[in-house]
Amino acid sequence: MPVVSGSGLPHDDGRRDSLHHRERLRRKITEQLRGRIGEEDIIAAGPEKRIRVPVKGTRHWRFILDRDLEKGVGQGEAGPGDVIGPPGGRAAPGDAGLQPGEELYEVWLDMDEVEEMLFSELRLPRLKPKQAADTQAQHVLFDDIARHGPQVDKKATLRENLARNAREGRVHLGGIEKPDLRYLSYREAPIPRHKAVIFLAMDVSGSMEADRKRMARLFFYWCVQFLRRRYEQTETVFIAHTTDAREVVEEEFFSRTESGGTRVSSAFEEIERIQRERYPAEDWNVYVLHVSDGDNFTADNARTLQLVERMTRFCALVGYLEVDPYRRGAPWGRGSYKLSGFYAERAADLDGFVFACAEEDRDLWPALKRLFAADEVEAALR
Amino acid sequence: MSSYTVADLREVEQRCQQIAATELGLHTQEIVFHLVAPEEVYFAAANGLPARYSSARWGAQFESEYGRYRAGQGRIYELIFNTRPVHAYLMEGNSLVAQTLVIAHCLGHAHVFEENRWLGGVDRQIMPRVLSAADRIAEYMGAHGRDRVEDFLDAAHAIAVHQPQAQLLRRAPAGEPEYRPRRYDELFEAEVAAERERLREERRQMRRRFPREPARDLLGFIEANARGLEDWQRDVMSIVRSEQGYFLPQMRTKILNEGAAVIAHQEICQRLFLAAGQYWEYEQLNASVVAPRHGEVNPYSLGGELIREIMRIAADADDEDRERWSWAGEVDPWLRVREVLRDYDDAALLREFLTPRVCERCRLYAFERSARDPRLIRVSSREADEIREVLVRRHASLQIPVIEVVDADFRGRGELLLAHRHDGVGLDSEYARGTLVEIATLWGKACTVRTIAGADPDREVWFTGHPDGRSELLDEHGSPDANAAM
Repeated sequence: MPVVSGSGLPHDDGRRDSLHHRERLRRKITEQLRGRIGEEDIIAAGPEKRIRVPVKGTRHWRFILDRDLEKGVGQGEAGPGDVIGPPGGRAAPGDAGLQPGEELYEVWLDMDEVEEMLFSELRLPRLKPKQAADTQAQHVLFDDIARHGPQVDKKATLRENLARNAREGRVHLGGIEKPDLRYLSYREAPIPRHKAVIFLAMDVSGSMEADRKRMARLFFYWCVQFLRRRYEQTETVFIAHTTDAREVVEEEFFSRTESGGTRVSSAFEEIERIQRERYPAEDWNVYVLHVSDGDNFTADNARTLQLVERMTRFCALVGYLEVDPYRRGAPWGRGSYKLSGFYAERAADLDGFVFACAEEDRDLWPALKRLFAADEVEAALR
Repeated sequence: MSSYTVADLREVEQRCQQIAATELGLHTQEIVFHLVAPEEVYFAAANGLPARYSSARWGAQFESEYGRYRAGQGRIYELIFNTRPVHAYLMEGNSLVAQTLVIAHCLGHAHVFEENRWLGGVDRQIMPRVLSAADRIAEYMGAHGRDRVEDFLDAAHAIAVHQPQAQLLRRAPAGEPEYRPRRYDELFEAEVAAERERLREERRQMRRRFPREPARDLLGFIEANARGLEDWQRDVMSIVRSEQGYFLPQMRTKILNEGAAVIAHQEICQRLFLAAGQYWEYEQLNASVVAPRHGEVNPYSLGGELIREIMRIAADADDEDRERWSWAGEVDPWLRVREVLRDYDDAALLREFLTPRVCERCRLYAFERSARDPRLIRVSSREADEIREVLVRRHASLQIPVIEVVDADFRGRGELLLAHRHDGVGLDSEYARGTLVEIATLWGKACTVRTIAGADPDREVWFTGHPDGRSELLDEHGSPDANAAM
C-alpha cells in the first residue's frame, strides 16, 4: 500500500526533546550568570530592567571560514554596491539575535528571572521560629510518600516493585501488586516568618579604596536581593564605621570615606543597640553582614569576637566578607594580622557565623554560596 | 480542507506514478507515503530521520521550526527519506492539491535516490542502525546522565562532517616513497645515490610521524586513537560519524535533487490540473515553493531553473549553445536530463549549466560582507561568471573547511595538531576556538589548529583549545615549539 495513515513510529517526542533543550539552555545561562554577578552593569540594570546574556555554551561549534570574508549568492533585485540586511530570508532587518543560520546567541532576561536562576542554589540559614506568626504560617508540601492515599505515586511504586522483584530474585519491572503501591502524601512545613532586618556594616576608613567598596556594594546588593525574595518584608540598616560607628543612609554609605583607623567592634556595638531598640528578635529574623579589608586594630579583635558570638545567639546569620583585591594580606592563614586570619583561628566552628574572602569579582559567587549554603542535612539528602 | 480519504491519495499516487513512468521516463519505484500529523512531520524533520536518538539538539530545531509553523510563518510540505523502500511524509490538513504536488515532487526525489551515482554509496538500509543507536544512547543517558551524554554528542557533532565524503574516486594510501630505477641510472651514480639517501631520510621521517599521512576522518581518527575514552563514548562517536556519513552525499546533491523534484511536480501537475480547474491553487503553491530568498538561494528555484535550462539547450538551442554543447538542439530533453541526474553533483551541475540566462531567471546576485557592519551584505556583482565562481566553490566544498590531523603527539605531550588546508581564507577565530575546545574534550588533551589570518596566506596563526574550556590564539611568533613540530 503506497499511501498509509500514520508512520507507526514514535512521534510525539519533539516536545520532550525541546524541553530537554530548554533545560540545557537554562543550565548554561545560569552557569554564565554566575560568572557575571561581579559585573556592575547587571545591578545597574535595576530590578525592572532586562539584561542581555550571551549564551555561548549553546552554540553548535564547528569549523567555518572567516565570517567577515564570506562570499555568498542571494536572490532579488538589488544592484552592485547595494548594502542590504543580514542574509537568511527569515531574519528581520537589524535583528542581530541570530547568528549565521540557526543558533540562539543572546537572550534577554528579566532581572526577576536572573535572580531566580541564581538564587535557586542558595538556602536560608537555620531559621529560628518567630513568635507571633508561626502558628498560622503553614505550608503544605506534596513531597512525601505513603502506603495509603488517593493518588498513586507512579515513580515510587515502580521503585518499590523493582526492589521487591530484586529481593525475590527477578531483575525486571512488572507484576505490580498491592504491597508495591505507594501514594503521594503531604506534610505541613512552616513558612519562614515574614520579616527580616539586614544590618549592613562596612568599614569606610581610608584603606577601603574604590575597588573594594565596589565589591562591597555588589556583595550587599546580592545578599539583600536574595533575602528580599525570601521574606515578605525586609528592612535594611546601614552602619558605617571607622573607629566609631553610626547609622547612615544608603547613598552616604557607599560614597563616604573617612580618615582614621578601624575598630570593628564599634559597628557591632551599634548594631546590637539598634536591634535591641527597634527589631526585637522575637519578631524579626536578624541578619548581620559586614565587609572590610580586614585591617582591624589587633587590640580590638578579642572584643569583636565576643560581640560576634553574642550576636549569633539572636541572629539568623552573621556574615563577614573580607575584600582584598590587591592580595595584600594572606587571608585565611593562621596568625595573619588580617581579621579573616583571626576568625579562621578563633571562630571557624562558630555556629551561625560565616566568613569569606574575595580578591576579585569572580570570588563573589562562591562567597555568597558560603553564606547561604544548603545546610548539611539538606545537602546530604540531595 | 481535508475532504479526501487515504483511498483518494492512493489514486492520486497511481496517476502521478503513471505520468512519471510513461511521459517523463523517471525510474519509478515503490514509495511509502505516510499521512501524519504536522507535529510528527516537524519532529522527523528536526531529527533528519525518523526515530533517531533523543537529543536537545533536535529539540532546539523542533521548537523553532514547529513554532514558526504554528505561528503561520512557514510550512514544510513534504519530507522524504532516502531509504529502501523510500518513505515520505504527507502532512495531515494539507489540501488534496497540495498533497498531489508533494506526491509528484517525491517521485522526482525517488528517481535521483535510485539513479544518481554520487548517492550510490548511501546506506539505504540505515533504519535498523538508527533505531539501535537510539536505544543505546538512551541507555547511556540513563547510566551516565543526560547532560554528560548531550555534552559529548555536541562535541562529536562539532567535527562529524570532517570525513571523506562520497567520493567516486578514492585516494589510495600514499605508502612509503621508494626509489624507482630508471634506464640511464648507471650514468648518474652520484645523483642516484643522493636521491636514494633523500628518500631513505623521508621514510625515516614518515615512520616517526603519527599519523604517517594526514588523516581527514577526524572523528574516526580520534575514536581509534584517543586514550582514556570509555566504551560508551567511543560508541557515541561512531554513531554520530556513521549517521553523518549518511547525510553527506545528500548534501552534495541538494540542488540537483530539488531541481529534479521541482521539474517532476511541475510536469506532472500541469498534466493533471490543467483540465481539472484546480490549476490556480496549484500555481499559487508552486510559486511559494520556488519563491526567491533574500541573501540566500532557494534550492527549489535554482534547481528547477537549471534543469529547465538543460531541457532548453537540448530542444531549442541557439548558435552559442551549439558551439558549447555538441548535443545542443539534437537530443531528447528528458534523455539528457536523466543523464545529468545520473552523473552530476551540485558543483558539476552549477559549473556547466549556470548560464547568464539561469542567473537572470533566478534573479541571482553575488554578495560580500559589508566592511562597515559584517551582519549586512553588500551586493558585489550580477555577472554570471562571478556568481558561478562563488556558488561552485560553496557547493564543491559543502562549506566544510578541509582539516587534517597532522600530529597526534604534538609538542611531545600527546596533544593533537590539526592543519587547515586553506583555499586562501582562514578559519573563523571564534568558531575555531569553540570547536577546538570540543575536540579537546574528545581527545582528552589540548588541541591546536594551524590556519591563516583572514585572507593573508603569509600570516600563519594557531588556535588552541583545552579540555577545561580555555582557548587561545597564538600567532606565528607566539609558538616557537609549535613551529618546530612541523
